[in-house]
Amino acid sequence: MKRTYSITDTRASRIVKNFFFVVLLLYTLIAVALILITVLSSFKTKSDLVQNTLGFPQSFTLDNYEQVLLKDKFWLYFINSTILTVGGVALLLFISSMVGYGLSKFHFKGRNGIRTYFLMGLMFPIQLGILPLFIMLRSLDLINNLFGLILLYAANMSFAVFVLSNFLRTVPNALIECARIDGASEFRIYRKIILPMARPVLSTVGLISFVTMWNDFYMPLVFLTKESVRTLTLGVYRYMNNFLENWHLVFAAVTVALVPVIVVFFLFSNQIIAGLTGGAVKE
Amino acid sequence: MKFFKKRPYLQFISPGIALYSIFVIVPVLFAIFLSFHEWSGIGSMKFVGLDNYAKLLTDPRTSEIFLNALGNNLKYTLCVVTIILGVQLVFAYLLNINIRGAKYFRLMIFLPYVISTAIIGFFTLIVFDPNLGILNNILGLVGRADLKSAWFGDPKIAFVLLVMVILWQSVGAGMMIFYANMKDVPKSMIEASVIDGAGEWKRFTNIVIPMLGPSFTTNIMLGVIWGLTIFDIPFLIGGPQGGINNSIDFVNQFFYRSTFGSAYFGETSLGFGACISVTMFVIIFSISLMLSKLLKRFKFND
Repeated sequence: MKRTYSITDTRASRIVKNFFFVVLLLYTLIAVALILITVLSSFKTKSDLVQNTLGFPQSFTLDNYEQVLLKDKFWLYFINSTILTVGGVALLLFISSMVGYGLSKFHFKGRNGIRTYFLMGLMFPIQLGILPLFIMLRSLDLINNLFGLILLYAANMSFAVFVLSNFLRTVPNALIECARIDGASEFRIYRKIILPMARPVLSTVGLISFVTMWNDFYMPLVFLTKESVRTLTLGVYRYMNNFLENWHLVFAAVTVALVPVIVVFFLFSNQIIAGLTGGAVKE
Repeated sequence: MKFFKKRPYLQFISPGIALYSIFVIVPVLFAIFLSFHEWSGIGSMKFVGLDNYAKLLTDPRTSEIFLNALGNNLKYTLCVVTIILGVQLVFAYLLNINIRGAKYFRLMIFLPYVISTAIIGFFTLIVFDPNLGILNNILGLVGRADLKSAWFGDPKIAFVLLVMVILWQSVGAGMMIFYANMKDVPKSMIEASVIDGAGEWKRFTNIVIPMLGPSFTTNIMLGVIWGLTIFDIPFLIGGPQGGINNSIDFVNQFFYRSTFGSAYFGETSLGFGACISVTMFVIIFSISLMLSKLLKRFKFND
């Protein structure tokens, strides 16, 4: 690792740097400690947890997980969260990449107007439309329905369309023209040329959407009220409401909800961080 | 069929336009329409003009709650663009000058940002719960039981604690926006300042910060929007009522209570709920518009 120590690196500035190093170390230890405590506590028995709140488990038990996953149906919440996230990401990527292609590689009247129309969605806070959405989904019988929420997630495509159409503009026209001359249908061009070329951007947008949808609390809170469609975040929330009763179980529940997102984050951290923040500056 | 043959782009954009219009644009228009009506969700709607708005702003039963919540939103937004922004700036600079362990810090500071707010709410609980929480436990262990507190149960400090929790969760995003912008500062300028013998602090304030216009604009605008639409964490910590004495009540919690939380009040008026969300949108829109004009004047936005 390259360090920028220079001739101006006086003793005083090194002390300041060490001070900040300690600050950052303590700061980041909060997250490490909280995650460790949660995971360790999930293996403790109830009495162990009461007597030895912060320590290492006296004896590892999987009873909490058995209770949480099987009896309290977190296996179902896990499947629901998975269906919601996978379905939402897939539909969002499919629809927004088609729109991105249509808006970047075809010239037609009103194209800029449509582009602006898609960008408008970035302006509206989610709460503005949520009440009408509730009424609409209720009349379509899509309340308490994972598919209804998947549609909503995919419909919020402003950011994805923006990123994808900007990227697809850089795909060489010659490539598309060649395929067209060879007699490929428009949809075939999209599938065989556009999608493979857009893979890096698709995966970034997909990762960000995965994190957002997996973690989402507000939309499931409003649209999914029945147990059969409950997601992991809602399951955790319900346990928290009865914190005292479920104290030993909450840790296992949180661990189940936390682990997938942490694994994905550490595997793809660069892509996720750049995707969540980089696009904002380079508009 | 010939129509589509002539316009091949239509097969690509029409599914998206349909989905987006139905589930994003129409609801917004519907919300505006609804805010001028009285409706309980079943039966017929009654046009009431600006009555809902008048009720929201002048009827003491609702206006007090609304103004308290709006005040909290503004206070919180102010904290975001001062305290949180400041921390993000300093953290970003530390990463930028490659402080020891920068790679680890970048990852770990960002980590809470990808954790669900429901789990952040749980973390807050295990730290601050008056009986079982880690903080009071540790205070007891080190013999400073006198410092024990009800934390979020104490309306005087609940707001400050909330800001701290959100700072901890969300600092990474703005930090990385600053950080990416700092990479745009020309190397030659940094090197020149090193040769001229400028210290780190001087370099930070005189060379780097003036170059950060775009990221300041982005972070301030995003901060204002987030600040005025916050819901999850105060809801998870303080419940639908916004904590003890509404100390952490925000407009969106009030909105949630008025529309989906009939269990708490016994009556639901969807028109009134829509009126809250439209009012909030008008406030957000005007503040962002003024801000972007202001930031342009300060040449923050080249």
